[in-house]
Amino acid sequence: MTLSLVLSLLALALVRGTPILLASLGGVLSERAGIVNIALEGEMTAGAFAAALISFFTRDPWIGAIGGVAVGAAVGFVLGFAATRWRVDQIVAGMGINLICTGGAAFGLIFVFNQAGVTPQVPAINQALWPLVILGILLAAVLQWALSRTPIGLRLRACGENPHAARAAGIDPLAVRLAASAIAGALAGLGGVFLALGELNLYSDGMIAGRGFIALAAVIFGRWTPLGAAGVALIFGLLEALQFALQGNIAWLPSDFLQALPYIAALIALLGASGRYRPPAAEGKPYP
Amino acid sequence: MLDAVDLTCEAGEIHALVGENGAGKSTLAAIAAGELSADTGEIERNGRIGLVHQHFALIDRLCVWENVVLGREPRRLATIDRGAARAFVRDLGERYGLDVDPDALVEDLPVGIRQRVELLRELARDPSILILDEPTAALSPGEVERLFSTVARLTQNGVGALVITHKLDEVFAHAERVTVLRRGRVVERRPVAEITRDQVARAMIGGDIPSIPSHQPTNGAVVVRVEDLAVPGAIEHLSLHIAAGEILGVAGVEGNGQSALADALAGLTPFRGTIDRPAAIGIIPQDRLLEAVIPAWSLVENAMLGRERAAGNGSWRIDRAAARAQCTAIVERFDVRTESIDAPLATLSGGNQQKLVVGRALIDNPAFVIAYNPTRGIDIGATATVHGELLAARNRGAAILLVSFELDELFALSDRIVVIARGALRGEFTDRHFDRDAIGRLMVSA
Amino acid sequence: MKRESMKALLLGTLGVVAAMSLAMLASHVSPILGFNAFFYGAFGGKQEIAETLASTTALLFPALGIAIAFRAGLFNIGAEGQLLVGGLLAGWIGTRIEVAPALAIAAIFLAGAFGGAVWGAIAGWLKAARGANEVISTLMLNFIAASLALYLVTGPLRAPDAAGPELSLLPHAYWLPTLLPQTRATIALPIALLLAFALRYVLNRTWFGYRLRAAGEAPEAARRAGISLSRVALSAMAWSGALAGMGGAALVAGELHRFNTQLSPGYGFIAIAVALVGGLEPLAICVAALAFGALESGGLALQAAAAVPKDAIHVIEGLLVFALAARRYLGARGATTQ
Repeated sequence: MTLSLVLSLLALALVRGTPILLASLGGVLSERAGIVNIALEGEMTAGAFAAALISFFTRDPWIGAIGGVAVGAAVGFVLGFAATRWRVDQIVAGMGINLICTGGAAFGLIFVFNQAGVTPQVPAINQALWPLVILGILLAAVLQWALSRTPIGLRLRACGENPHAARAAGIDPLAVRLAASAIAGALAGLGGVFLALGELNLYSDGMIAGRGFIALAAVIFGRWTPLGAAGVALIFGLLEALQFALQGNIAWLPSDFLQALPYIAALIALLGASGRYRPPAAEGKPYP
Repeated sequence: MLDAVDLTCEAGEIHALVGENGAGKSTLAAIAAGELSADTGEIERNGRIGLVHQHFALIDRLCVWENVVLGREPRRLATIDRGAARAFVRDLGERYGLDVDPDALVEDLPVGIRQRVELLRELARDPSILILDEPTAALSPGEVERLFSTVARLTQNGVGALVITHKLDEVFAHAERVTVLRRGRVVERRPVAEITRDQVARAMIGGDIPSIPSHQPTNGAVVVRVEDLAVPGAIEHLSLHIAAGEILGVAGVEGNGQSALADALAGLTPFRGTIDRPAAIGIIPQDRLLEAVIPAWSLVENAMLGRERAAGNGSWRIDRAAARAQCTAIVERFDVRTESIDAPLATLSGGNQQKLVVGRALIDNPAFVIAYNPTRGIDIGATATVHGELLAARNRGAAILLVSFELDELFALSDRIVVIARGALRGEFTDRHFDRDAIGRLMVSA
Repeated sequence: MKRESMKALLLGTLGVVAAMSLAMLASHVSPILGFNAFFYGAFGGKQEIAETLASTTALLFPALGIAIAFRAGLFNIGAEGQLLVGGLLAGWIGTRIEVAPALAIAAIFLAGAFGGAVWGAIAGWLKAARGANEVISTLMLNFIAASLALYLVTGPLRAPDAAGPELSLLPHAYWLPTLLPQTRATIALPIALLLAFALRYVLNRTWFGYRLRAAGEAPEAARRAGISLSRVALSAMAWSGALAGMGGAALVAGELHRFNTQLSPGYGFIAIAVALVGGLEPLAICVAALAFGALESGGLALQAAAAVPKDAIHVIEGLLVFALAARRYLGARGATTQ
């Protein structure tokens, strides 16, 4: 394998891994604050669809991108609100949000564009692809630092481990959880924006294709740390890239196996390393 | 829960608040500290009231300094000034004789040290009153002394201390005033010098203390034999034996291998060495709500837990009539007070829940019983029932392993006491000749 | 029925009606006409009722399976994959055996159950032996099942006579008998209903069901009472998968009459909503499945008659699930990720 091939493979890995990375950072934040985030998939979908929609109407992809992030944040806020104020079962609520977002986007396609499956081409920010990739990696490093070294990071972790103790220390766990969930939605929304406007210039049904769930896996394999999750997300990106690179090049390897590669890898990782994973102690538990 | 309670705690005094479990002590403490709100009435606080919880409200996976400074972190620009935080914890510790490694992870610390961390956390907030909720429940006698010397140092500095306890020894050794709470009402309040121990005890219970059956000497054959037991990370080279008709008490500070010993004997954890015990075994787990019952389920379904297969008499169908009969038998024999055996267990008081747990363990007259803090958190009446049933089981010939953090309970029930510390047995006391001081020293031996 | 459940049901229904009205208004359709089309589509005639019952059946099998896992405290979101693998095995067996039709149908269902059970048991084994988070493993197994099925139907198992990537058609004699002639409503529905009753019996009246519920409700208490959580995880996931796999077999033998990768348009995911709306109680799940079945077939009719996209129905289902999550007791009874 030549050097240029390796480099292009790595480049592809970064591009494929970044949306997963962004969503997984959101997942880390919300889970460390105590909210199980099974809704990443829906938040990515909402972000991607809103970005394409807004870009289409404003003809300004940057407004679209910001809109996508904002809509993702709004979905995260709804999950956070339900989880903190209504004390819902967070997993069930997350499943509901996923249904609403994917159904809503498909409904929106027909309602707005009167066509099923895909938006027309919209103005995109393809030139910002690499800056976004770098932003994602930097963000992982910054969040890692912020969680361990800043007051707000300490308080967020406290809310995910023992909200009662956090409350006794004068922190409002509900506010922290709500904020974390909204920021998580924004990050997942940015992941959706990356797919819709960064890599492509449209939204199509099923384009998220389980990346939100993969991001959730990255959160767990990354042991709920930003850098860990980012690393796992990029490994998933690499596996996806490998699948492109190997497709058709190795005769005896069926392409469908390659498609399943990231998932099989995840399953094997689960086999090898589980038991050592400990989620935040108060994760998923309503407070008070 | 509480009814027209008034209470004052003055600067520089140690005020003991005593009462049975369920009398409302912890509720009162939470209201005073502002963690709960009262329906009527008011709380006047001159300064901050700090609360050291019975079940320490620390964050296990944060380190000591993180726990202490949480919410009021010293800052350097946008970050936490970690050097200042560590120094703060060390200084505070030196001032009050509470030395702790600021960087230790709380979950790695033994119970006694955790309590220091909780004390430090409250002291960091400059309280004018400090409430300690059952502070000695999991401490060794030496640690208890140490705690009260810290409290004395606090009161010399003008801090008022409200100590919630049900151990009268501590009240009479350290407190200046005592308030007795019964069923949410204050029934007695006096300077300690003006009241006797018996008066306080009667005020707590509202009557005479129930007595437990007397001991008969044991001379049964050995039915439980443990040789050279090792449980990784908890126990090493532990050997013991229990005879039929004998209660073997295990004294020790929480977290010194008692759980591992009980789990190994119950077959719940892997171990090395040999355990020779009867197959028929009754278990009273240590944490009732988490380990022993399913609160949302009915008494019948709870009574079946662990015997659900036997309740089918070999069929895969559960014989519901038999299960109900069994539950009724437990309820009647063990004095479980309930309106119906179909009521959810959660509707019962803690004492009645525990009587069901004890009944479930003893109803089939097992040859071996493991009882782990069998009366923790239940009232005196239920405690007397449980103690009586354990002695009755012993007198019927059961071998009983009794793990308890209350020396009084061990002294009242045990035929023999072994002391466990750091995963090994450190001493043995036979023929009911129990020396409290010697046991206390062995409990903290290295 | 408990008052709380009644209230939730009433609020849920009102919410659904309101949401559907909004969706119709948004699509410039009069809600009166829209609901008319919707109800006609769901219950208007023999064909419509049959469509509703077919959707009900397709959702009921996996929903019952999901209930088993959830009651055991296992968040099995892999019913879709289990259904697919079950359908694959059922479709393969159906083209390989030559026996009396009744026997063949039994074999097809058994094969479906077996395939789904194996797929579920993988996640159960990972949980039991390695403590692996079942949310992640079942999710991954969904993707893997889809790839596996695609590989097999495009490659080694592809029917020589088939136009697309699919297995051969089942012999006509092996097709499930219909309940209403010339419709897709088959005897799979009464089979699923029977299974619901059986499941209720097993959960409430047998020691196996007792252990399963105890493990789900209070794992530590169950473990200390001598119940092996590993065994419960393995068997609950296997049975959960078996029911989902039977759903795949029912689709193969009752609707498509062959296996292809388009077997399920996400029944395994919608079934999670069905199971939750049914409060994880088998008989209530039957009612929930009927409601969701009506939503699915009525939604299709709405799309045809009033150009309200069918996907609006998923939004409504999502809203229903979301609203349901707010019921507090679900937290105690339902599964959690840990």
